[in-house]
Amino acid sequence: MPATSKPIPAPEASAPDSDSTKPLPENAPPCAQYAPRAQRLNELSILADRFAKELNEGKGDAALAEKFLEVSREAFRGSSMLELLREVEEEREENRVLMQVSMKLSSAGDLSEVLKAILDSLRHVVLFSAAGIFVFSQEMDKIELDMMVGYEGADRGKVHNKFKDGFVQDKGIVAHVLLSGTDLYVPDVTKDNRYVLIREQTRSELAVPIKIRDELIGVFNLESDDYDGFSEHDRRVLTAFASHAGVALERARSDRLRRKAQQIQEEFALARNIQRTFLPDTMPRFDPYDLGGMNFPSSEVGGDYFDFIPLTNTDMGIVMGDVAGHGVPAALMMANFRACLRVEAKSNYDIPVILSKVNEFLFETNRSGDYVTAFYGVLDRRTKVLTYSNAGHNPPILIRADGTLRELSEGGLLLGSFGNVRYEQVRLHLEPHDMIVFYTDGVTESQNSENVEFGKQRLIESALKYRDLTALEIVRRICHDVHLYRAPDSIQDDLTLSVIKYVLPA
Amino acid sequence: MKIESHEHGDAQVIYLKGKVMGGPESAEFQNLLKKAVADGKKKVVIDLGEVEWMNSSGIGLLVSAFTTVKNSGGELKIARTTEKIESLLVITKLNSVFETYPDVISAVASYK
Repeated sequence: MPATSKPIPAPEASAPDSDSTKPLPENAPPCAQYAPRAQRLNELSILADRFAKELNEGKGDAALAEKFLEVSREAFRGSSMLELLREVEEEREENRVLMQVSMKLSSAGDLSEVLKAILDSLRHVVLFSAAGIFVFSQEMDKIELDMMVGYEGADRGKVHNKFKDGFVQDKGIVAHVLLSGTDLYVPDVTKDNRYVLIREQTRSELAVPIKIRDELIGVFNLESDDYDGFSEHDRRVLTAFASHAGVALERARSDRLRRKAQQIQEEFALARNIQRTFLPDTMPRFDPYDLGGMNFPSSEVGGDYFDFIPLTNTDMGIVMGDVAGHGVPAALMMANFRACLRVEAKSNYDIPVILSKVNEFLFETNRSGDYVTAFYGVLDRRTKVLTYSNAGHNPPILIRADGTLRELSEGGLLLGSFGNVRYEQVRLHLEPHDMIVFYTDGVTESQNSENVEFGKQRLIESALKYRDLTALEIVRRICHDVHLYRAPDSIQDDLTLSVIKYVLPA
Repeated sequence: MKIESHEHGDAQVIYLKGKVMGGPESAEFQNLLKKAVADGKKKVVIDLGEVEWMNSSGIGLLVSAFTTVKNSGGELKIARTTEKIESLLVITKLNSVFETYPDVISAVASYK
């Protein structure tokens, strides 16, 4: 007979609850917790249909009838038909509510809204006087997030503190669940010394853990004004809701991390754009001098700075600077230095005065150990004199037409670390075809795979190789040489170079 | 960067080794220094003879150490600089501020 050849799964024993503490498998339908009874009823109805059909066809089968009765007896054991129907109705309602929660979870963005929705929905299926969802910090030392209803009389800060203390002393139902990772039901709180009073009216309390995968992150807690206010059924429902809360929290956590990362990236991009505006994007024309400079920051933002500051029709301020360190702190200090130098350069004529003022300003505003090295000079195109002072910066290299070299190192201490520093200035007369190469230590300290630095000598050789090109092109080619030289996995500093060439009109 | 510290008479001698370039280890150095100063040490010698590499952040570390000791009424001196460090001190003109000595013994002996 075809009907009996299909094995009918044996009805489960009447205690299917042993599994209810396990977290739901991912993507499980909300009704998964209630499968056993629903399954039995389903079997019953399939059997009844088949039985009725076979009777109609005049093929009444004794064996099938026997099986039907057996399954019916099993399903109905210990409960009246009415009770069973009521339970089925309840389960339907629970499933409906859980479905609603699922849908809300997939649409709602704000985490507290989601938790509130979970609490509101729970009200439809479980009777409780107060409920709370508590999410703990990763160090488990405080409540990071909570959603409470029914604790109107209680001060929220006090609630937090009680849980916090409770966690340390292993007191309180919630703390106990968090420490043990398992459910706890206390039918009479007056008789349980773990209980910590928050609500005067509470007589029984039920708490289950909230997990993200296997990680315990919080507790879902219910309180009732009645003794023994919760049933086994309530515990199962609460467990299902807690697993929904876990899903919502996990999503919120990854959303938050993603938003944070995105925000940081946007801020960096903004900082980089602002910083770019600090550097000249087009090189000023300053005949008979050809000026060119470039900066390659190693990270999103850097601490190198070069500038050509037109002071008058005949005077050009020339800056090459380097802030110790990298990243945002260096970039902020660079912005500070630039603003200060530009103000002083335009309101003072004397270079030692300018540098002393800048030094004093940085010294007063900086942390100890932060400093700037900088070369500052003023090039007068009428007299062909470069007046400069070098505050602790890598000396720019003057390369004369006949190949003789001179380092422009005179000046004084690096800026920002000591008070009352005096600077000296030097006047340098420039000849036709002279070229000056300004650079930061990122250029000369670039290392190849053998940890050998690019160094001053290679820099000079590169500059000589390209000396007939325009200033900007010389800068670009030298930077290219450095990029080729340095090992890709070496420590990458900012690279900044600029060049001044004295060009005779053709 | 590796840090060692020894007392040499009433002077505290701190040895920096390896790559001195700021970073998390610099906090260890600063704490050591703060402790020496809090203990009333007025003579602090930093030995740099075994520094393999130093960058601008490493220089910053020396500058802040110098200031910490000076602000507490003491004096920081440097023993054994490598060629690379010597050139950094020349470029930054810190050679006009830091006293450097060929070895720890002469650095310690230089205190009056």
